[in-house]
Amino acid sequence: MKKKSVLAALLACAMLASLATGCNNDSGTASTGGDTASTAGDAGDAGDEGGDTSGEKVHLTALISKHSLTKDVNEMQWLQELEDACNVDVEWQQISADWDQKKPAMFASGQIPDILVCATSDSDYVQYNGLFEDLKPLIEQYAPNLQQFFKDKPEAEALATTMDGQIFGTPKYQSVWPNTNGTMYINQEWLDAVDMEVPTTWDELEQVLIAFKEKDPNGNGQADEIPMDFNGGFNSAYGLNQLLGCTGLQLSSNNPQGYFAEDGQVKNYYVDERFKRVCQFAQKLWSQGLINPEAITQDYSKFQSVARGDGDTALVGFTWGWELGDRFGVNVSDQYISMPQMKENEDTEKICYSYDFYDLNYGGNRYSMSAKCANKEAAMKFIDGFYDEVVSMQVLFGGISDGCIADNGDGTYAVLPPQDPSIDPGTWKWNSSFADNGGMYIRDDLQLTLGTDMQAVNEEKAVYDPLFEDLDPQDIYPALFMKYSADDTNTLAMNQANINNITDQTWSAWVSDSSRDIDAEWDAYVESVMSAGLSQNLEIRQAAFETYLANQG
Amino acid sequence: MSTKVAKVPKANKIHERSASDVSFRIVVGIITIFSFVVVLYPLYFIVIASFSDSTLVNRGEVLFYPKGISLYGYEQIFTRPDIWRGYLNTVIYSFCGTALNLAVTLPAAYTLSRRNFPARGIIMKLFVFTMYFNGGLIPTYMLINEVGLLNNPLIMIIIGAVNVYNLIITRTFFENSIPEDLYEAATLDGCSHFRYFFTIVIPLSKAVTAVIMLYYLVGHWNDFFNALLYLNSDAYQPLQIILRNLLLLNQAMAGSSGAGASAYAQQYADQIKFGVIIVSTLPVLCVYPFIQKYFEKGVMIGAVKG
Amino acid sequence: MKQAKTAAVGMPKKKVRPLKALARDWQLWVMIIPAIVYIAIFCYGPMYGLQLAFRDYDFSKGITGGDWAGFKYFIQYFESPMFWPTIRNTFVIAFFSLICGFPIPIILALAINAIKGPAWKRTVQTVVYLPYFISTVVLVAMLQILLSPTTGLVSNALKAIGLIGADANLLGDPWAFVPVYVISGIWQSAGWNSIIFIAALAGVDGQLYDACKVDGANRWQQVWHVELPAILPTIIILLIMNMGGILNVGFEKTFLMQNSLNKGVSEVITTYVYNVGLKSVQFSFGSAVGLFNTVVNFAFLMLANQISKRAANISLM
Repeated sequence: MKKKSVLAALLACAMLASLATGCNNDSGTASTGGDTASTAGDAGDAGDEGGDTSGEKVHLTALISKHSLTKDVNEMQWLQELEDACNVDVEWQQISADWDQKKPAMFASGQIPDILVCATSDSDYVQYNGLFEDLKPLIEQYAPNLQQFFKDKPEAEALATTMDGQIFGTPKYQSVWPNTNGTMYINQEWLDAVDMEVPTTWDELEQVLIAFKEKDPNGNGQADEIPMDFNGGFNSAYGLNQLLGCTGLQLSSNNPQGYFAEDGQVKNYYVDERFKRVCQFAQKLWSQGLINPEAITQDYSKFQSVARGDGDTALVGFTWGWELGDRFGVNVSDQYISMPQMKENEDTEKICYSYDFYDLNYGGNRYSMSAKCANKEAAMKFIDGFYDEVVSMQVLFGGISDGCIADNGDGTYAVLPPQDPSIDPGTWKWNSSFADNGGMYIRDDLQLTLGTDMQAVNEEKAVYDPLFEDLDPQDIYPALFMKYSADDTNTLAMNQANINNITDQTWSAWVSDSSRDIDAEWDAYVESVMSAGLSQNLEIRQAAFETYLANQG
Repeated sequence: MSTKVAKVPKANKIHERSASDVSFRIVVGIITIFSFVVVLYPLYFIVIASFSDSTLVNRGEVLFYPKGISLYGYEQIFTRPDIWRGYLNTVIYSFCGTALNLAVTLPAAYTLSRRNFPARGIIMKLFVFTMYFNGGLIPTYMLINEVGLLNNPLIMIIIGAVNVYNLIITRTFFENSIPEDLYEAATLDGCSHFRYFFTIVIPLSKAVTAVIMLYYLVGHWNDFFNALLYLNSDAYQPLQIILRNLLLLNQAMAGSSGAGASAYAQQYADQIKFGVIIVSTLPVLCVYPFIQKYFEKGVMIGAVKG
Repeated sequence: MKQAKTAAVGMPKKKVRPLKALARDWQLWVMIIPAIVYIAIFCYGPMYGLQLAFRDYDFSKGITGGDWAGFKYFIQYFESPMFWPTIRNTFVIAFFSLICGFPIPIILALAINAIKGPAWKRTVQTVVYLPYFISTVVLVAMLQILLSPTTGLVSNALKAIGLIGADANLLGDPWAFVPVYVISGIWQSAGWNSIIFIAALAGVDGQLYDACKVDGANRWQQVWHVELPAILPTIIILLIMNMGGILNVGFEKTFLMQNSLNKGVSEVITTYVYNVGLKSVQFSFGSAVGLFNTVVNFAFLMLANQISKRAANISLM
C-alpha cells in the first residue's frame, strides 16, 4: 500500500518536473524572443530613417529598483503613454527589496538591461568600468529636455558629471521639497497646561521638560508623559544632532557621518566642542528621566507609535519629525506646533538649522544605460522623455490619466487626493508612481497645487526659513556634489567604518550613563577618533570641497 | 551493548525504580510544558498582532488579546495580484526540488555509508570542503548564466540538489541504524546494491528520510535568496520574494532618508509584517503531521519484522 | 548488539585492483554520480573565484584578470583597529550559541520522546518547531516589542522577579546583547534542531528497552544506557559540523539588533564588512575577510573531527 503511494508521489513529481521543463522552454523562447525583438527594433529604426514613424516599436529592457509600496509599473498609465510617445516597447524588470544583494552579481556578470532606473551609484561606474554608457554625447544629440535641465540647473549637471567629465546617470530635481528634513515639535496644549512659553534656550527647555514630567500635562492622572523623544543614532534625521544648530553649528545635507563646513573648512562635529556640549546637555536631561529611556534603542515603528498618543491623550512633549500628521497621527497632531530653533543660552550669537534642500530636492543616478544597449538613440530619447515638464510631474506624483493629477487645462495642475481614502497622500504617491525613486525635472515655475501633506510640510517648516536666508556656500557641506576618486572612496569607507564604531558607542554611553565624565574623557576620545582615520578623511573631503567651491566660481 | 546494560546495578528494588520513574515523568512534564508555553506565547502574539492596530502593538498594549481589530494587513496581502501565482510557483519548486534532492541524496548517502567503497574518503573530503569554501556570489552567478539557468525556473529546483550537511546526516544514519548483518545476509543471497538499497535500506530509513525531506522541503519553501539572484521575470517569482517585499515595507521607509521624505500608512505596514509570517507558514504547518508519523517509535522494528 | 560493533570496526579492507573494484562497485558509483556531478559543476565550477581575495578586482578583466594583490586585503583587515573587536565579538556570540544552543535540542528530543500521550506529544512537537519559520525581521521586531524596557512584557516580567535591574535595557545594555541573541536563537531553532534527534530516537530497537528493564534499570538509566548511545553518532557528527561554524554569526539578525549602545559587542565580522562596503562595494576586501573566516572555521572543523576520530572513532571524513 505504502509503496504504491510513494510510487504515485514520485510519478507526480516526474510529471511536475516535466511541466517545469515546459516552463523552461517557454522562458528560453521568451529570452531569445527578446533578442529578436531588439533586432526587429533595429529594423524598425532603419525604417525610421526612411522617414516613416509608424514603424515597429523599438524593444528595450529596463530594470527599476522601486519602493516596496510601488505598484506594478506596467499598470501605470502615464508610463505607457510615455512609451508610446517615444515609440518604444519596454520590458520591465522590477525589484522592490534587496537590490543591493543582487546588484554585485548582476553587474559583475556584465548582463544588464538597456536602462536602469534608480539602480546605480557613483561607485558602480568606477567599479564596473565600461559597463555603462557615457550619456554626455547622447544627451547633446538626442535629449532636449535634459539639455534644458542642465541649462537651468547647472548644479544638476555638475552633480551627474564624474571627475573625468562623463555622465553615467542622469540627475533629478524635485523643486517643491522644503529646506530642511526634521521639524522640531512641542505640545502646545501641554505648555498651556503647565502655563509656560515655548522655550527659547536649553535652560528653558529643561524647565519645560521637568514641568511636563511632573505636572501631568495630559491630565490623565498618570505619570505616562514622555517629556522628550528622539530616534536612533545621533546623526539620524530626528536625532540629537538637531540640537547642534543651537550652538551655531551649521548642519547640511542630512549631516552624513557628522561632516559639516565652516568658513570653507570641512570639519566633523564628533570631535567638536559643541558636540561635547550637546552630549553634556542630553546627559543632564537623561539623568533626570526627561528623555524616553528607549530613545536610543527603539526602532522607527515604536518611535512613531508612541507619539501617536493613546486615543486623544498625547504622550510625547518635545520631539522631531517630518510632518505633523505623519508624526502624531490623526488624533493628537493638532496639539503640536512646529517650534523655532532655540539658543544654547542667552549669550549665543548665532543659531542655525539643518539645511537639507540639496538632499531633499536633488539626486543623481536616476537613469543609466548599458554600454551594450542595441539602440542607444531610442533609449536616450526614452530617458529624456521622463524629463518633459508634464511627464516629470507624473513621475513624481502619479499620472494624469491614472487620476493622480488634475490637468486644469489652463497650464495649471493639482495633485489630487488619494483615490483610496484609507491611504494618506504620501503613501498614495509612492503607490502610484516612481515617486522619489524616479528621475524628473520639476520646473521651479510649474503651476502645480500640491497635495495636503506637502502643503502642510512646507507651512510647518517655514518657521526655519529665516535661518537659511543668508547662508554662505562656505558654510554648506554639499555631500551630494562632492566627487572622489576610486582610491579615495575606498579609503573613506574603510576609515568611516572604524570611526563610526568609536563615535556610536561613545555618544550613546555618555548620554545614557550619568556616571560618565564627558569632560575628562573628551581629549582621549578625540585622539582615538582622529587616529581611527578621521584626520585622513577630513583631508580627502577638504580637497573635494575646495574643488566644488572652485567649480561654483 | 549488552556489556553496558550489565553495568546497571541489578539490586534495584521495584519501589526505588518507580520513585525515580516518577521523578523522570515530572522532569519530562516540566520540560515539555515549559517549552510549550515559552514557544506558544510569542506565536500567539504574532497571530493577535497580525490583526491588531499596530500602534497599540508597538506600544506594548497588545499582550493577551487583540485590540483595534482590523483585517487590513491580510487584505493587503491577499489582494496582491501576484500572491497566488507566488504560492503556485513555490509549491512547484518545493515539490520538484525536494523530489530531486531525495533522488540525489539518498543513493549518494548509501554509497558513502559503504565502508568498503574505495573512493569514500576522498569523495567525503571533497564534499565537506565545499561546505566551507565557495567561489562566491559572482562566479556562481556567471556559471548559472552560462549554463542557461538564469531567469529559468528550473534553477529553483536544481540549485542545492545535494546539501552536504543533509548528506552527512543521512550517511551517519545509514551507518549506525541499519544492522550490518542485514547487508551480509543480503550479499550472501546474491543481492545487488541496487536491490539492497531499495528493498532494505529505504524501508528501514523512513525516519531519516522524513527528516531530510523536511529539511529540503523547508529549504525550498523559504528560499528567497536564490530567487532574488537568479530569477528576473515576475511570473517566476516564488511566494517568499513577494512576501519579502511586503515585510520590508517599513524598513525601507525607516532606514533611508525616505522616512523623512514621505508620510505613509505605518500602522498597517506593521500589521502586514506579522500577517506575512502566518500566510507563509500555514501551508508548511499542514505538511508536518504527514512527516511526523514517521518519527513514531517502532517504525523500524515493524519494517525489520515485516 | 553485534551490528554496532561491526559498524564501528568497519569492513576489513581488501586489496583489490582498481578495475576489478570498479566492476564490483559500479552500482555504488552509479548511485553517487549525480551528487558528484552536481558538486563538481555548481560548487567546484565557481571555485576559481577564491583568488579574488588575492587580486584587485577589475571589472574589465574579469575575476581572474585583476592584478595580484597578494595578502594586501588580508593585511588591511588584520591591521584595522576593528580586527580584534570583530573577531572577539563574533567568537563570543558563536561560542555561546554553540555551548547553550547545542544541548537543548537533545534534551528537548529526549523529553518529547518520553511523552506518553500521543496527542500531547504531537502537539508539543509541532509547536516547538514552528518558530523556525519566523523570519529574522519579524523575530527582531518581536524582540523590540517584548523586551522594551518600559512596556515589554518579558522585560517587565524579568524585572518583577528581580532577574534584571529596574533600569536595565535589554535592547541596549551591552551585557544583554549576547544573552538576548543566544536565547532568542535557541527559542527559534531548538525545536527544529530536535527533529533529527527525535527521528534517531524513533530508530531505537524496542528490545533494548526491554533488556534494560529486565536488568532493573529505571527510566533515567534507560536514557543514559539506551537512548543516548543510540543517538550519540548523530550528536557527534552534528557537533563536529557546528564546530565548523565557530565564526558564523547570522548577519541579518545581528545587523537588525545593532544600535549605538550595544555596538561595542555587536559589531561582528559580517556587519563590519557590510559597513565598509556600504559606500563602495569592496569585492576583494570582502572576499579576503570571508576567506579568513572560512579558514578559521575549517580549522576548527578539522580539529573537532580529529578529536572525535581518536576518541570515539566517529568522523565526518
